[in-house]
Amino acid sequence: MSTGHGAAGPPAVPPPRGADEPVLAISDFSVVYRTPDGDVQAVNRVNLELYPGQVVGLVGESGSGKSTLAYGACRLLRAPALITNGNVRYRGRRSVAPMEILHVHADDLRRLRWREIAIVFQSAMNALNPVLNVRDQLVDVIHAHLRVSRQEARDKAGSLLEMVGIPRSRLRSYPHELSGGMRQRVMIAMALATEPEVVIMDEPTTALDVVVQRDILTQIVELKESLGFSILFITHDLSLLLELADRIAVMYAGQLLEFGTAREIQHEPAHPYTRGLLNSFPSLRGARRDLAGIPGSPPDLHDPPSGCPFIPRCGYATQACADIDMRLLPVASSLDPAHVTACPFVLPGTPAPPGPAGRPAATSTGS
Amino acid sequence: MSSNGIPGPPPDGDVASVAAERGPLAMEAVSLGKDFRLGRGAILHAVRDVSFNLYRGAATALVGESGSGKSTVARLLAGQERLTSGSVRLDGQPVDVSRSRAFRQYKSKVQLVFQDPFSSLNPVHTVSYHLERPVKLRQDKHSRQEVSQETAALLEQVRLTPPGQFLPKFPHELSGGQRQRVSFARALAARPEVLLADEPVSMLDVSIRLEMLSLLDDLRRRFRLALLYITHDIASARYFADEVLVMYAGQIVERGPAEEVTQHPAHPYTQLLVASAPDPDNLGSGLHAGSGAERRAENTGPAATGCPFSTRCPLADDRCRRDNPALQRVSATRAAACWRLDAAAPDILAEPQGGGL
Repeated sequence: MSTGHGAAGPPAVPPPRGADEPVLAISDFSVVYRTPDGDVQAVNRVNLELYPGQVVGLVGESGSGKSTLAYGACRLLRAPALITNGNVRYRGRRSVAPMEILHVHADDLRRLRWREIAIVFQSAMNALNPVLNVRDQLVDVIHAHLRVSRQEARDKAGSLLEMVGIPRSRLRSYPHELSGGMRQRVMIAMALATEPEVVIMDEPTTALDVVVQRDILTQIVELKESLGFSILFITHDLSLLLELADRIAVMYAGQLLEFGTAREIQHEPAHPYTRGLLNSFPSLRGARRDLAGIPGSPPDLHDPPSGCPFIPRCGYATQACADIDMRLLPVASSLDPAHVTACPFVLPGTPAPPGPAGRPAATSTGS
Repeated sequence: MSSNGIPGPPPDGDVASVAAERGPLAMEAVSLGKDFRLGRGAILHAVRDVSFNLYRGAATALVGESGSGKSTVARLLAGQERLTSGSVRLDGQPVDVSRSRAFRQYKSKVQLVFQDPFSSLNPVHTVSYHLERPVKLRQDKHSRQEVSQETAALLEQVRLTPPGQFLPKFPHELSGGQRQRVSFARALAARPEVLLADEPVSMLDVSIRLEMLSLLDDLRRRFRLALLYITHDIASARYFADEVLVMYAGQIVERGPAEEVTQHPAHPYTQLLVASAPDPDNLGSGLHAGSGAERRAENTGPAATGCPFSTRCPLADDRCRRDNPALQRVSATRAAACWRLDAAAPDILAEPQGGGL
């Protein structure tokens, strides 16, 4: 297995050592939403491993099930969501034996959450309590999960803020007195308050301006390197992940379609959907490319199509695609057995066919 | 104009627009200004001395971060907000908000598309209702057959086909992309000359955005719309605009041809914006290298006096903190508002004047 950063950027991210166990292993995981009109298969037999010190990016469109997968793995979903299959194994440095998250007792689950696995939720604008100041909210978290005195908790709240780049003097500020970026930093500080081993970040920078976004991502990477936690980073922005993540999992219609290192996803994307995503971003640097996008929209998960869910939007689709068993198999041409794809037909480098019938490919101005 | 050798550009922000090559002048924004009273005597200068032209068939991008005043500019142009200073001219005629008849005509020629397709359509009305109203009001078509022909044609233009399938639907039955197409169709129903698109794709999924931008591009060409594309995504401006205007704290700090501004930004703010955009071609390096102190963006708001960017600018000196620079000419088609262009963009200034890149 290789990492996303070869000789590229010092300090190099420690590679997932072969003997190491994943800190979080999700296997054969399925979630449905029970509705009066029948089940919606939100997550369908997903396998995903997160190794210590890694950043795994989970990319997908809205409704692809990426948040459901992450919350489901922490048992944070409520009815009508129902976990129908799979197991989630957590093994931290502090824990003696691996824990089966889906089977542990409620008390253990409480200890696991935040202490071991913390979540930075989407939209920090709404995640903070508007009537409590920042210090009190941080102290709340610290008291709930760690045994420390009042004074220690307050001191820790101050150092947490400083750690995420907010001056200690803002401890008494209320959320409305902080900018969006600062609120997001407070959320990150709260997640890191208990020194968790895994931090799940659900679109933490989506509502922010690019300059602030880059600033916060840089900080997340610095913190990760100094504190040594692992990150599951959920986003719809693949271009962001290519820079940030070690490995990237591409999710579509509740299933993983491809999983590989950032480099593999960028340079040898195997699945047609991954290729479509890569072609959906106008690039700021380099020569102007022909942008294609992906015509059509994702399938209705009330009534998922048989075989590959990407068939209606796929330029490569053939009759055989409706019969395939959606299993992730190593990419035939890849040296890395961990680079897996759900498409057994298309190999990296296969020239793109013309788009699906009736849809003109996108063009841009000036050409 | 001197061809070479004179250091520093002439102090003249009035440069030619590349968008003018596409078609005749449609709309002029002349020194737009908008102040908001915040209470207790405080005033927010949301838009300050913003001037630009929109040309038929050309796309102009207005790029800036949230709070930079770009949406306020759109609302000023659409007549939804009263100007504090400056004026708007359409086809050479000044816009008079007080004369309701003339203003109604103006509003049908200048259409606005909003960011959020989930709240910009009325949830209790069908697609056909949304389209029939502007067709009846703006196009003066009244017979039932004419109206239904026109609404069907509109849906085909935004590629919602077959139209019969979409006309009876309610907004909640449509996906985000389909809703935004209806918004486009509704704007087109008024047969506009100018289309003001305020972040038209930022609420949509990544895989759909490009298709929507291409559609917008296609409509611009086909109907020779003067398009103002407002966005925070400077990369999309590179692909879908002729000219780019970069806004910071209510002012235009840089303007020029899209390719030149995005590839060789002159103003330090534009440079920061370009450097901050995710760069997949630069795997891992940017994030691990550590960032400069000037990136601590949210801790420092725009400066009250002098150049608004001086609080974040690594090149700021005393003059920057004292006097607010006006747009000055960088080349025949480019201008930037910066005192330190000699240090910020020496290679751009060194080029012969008048040629562009």
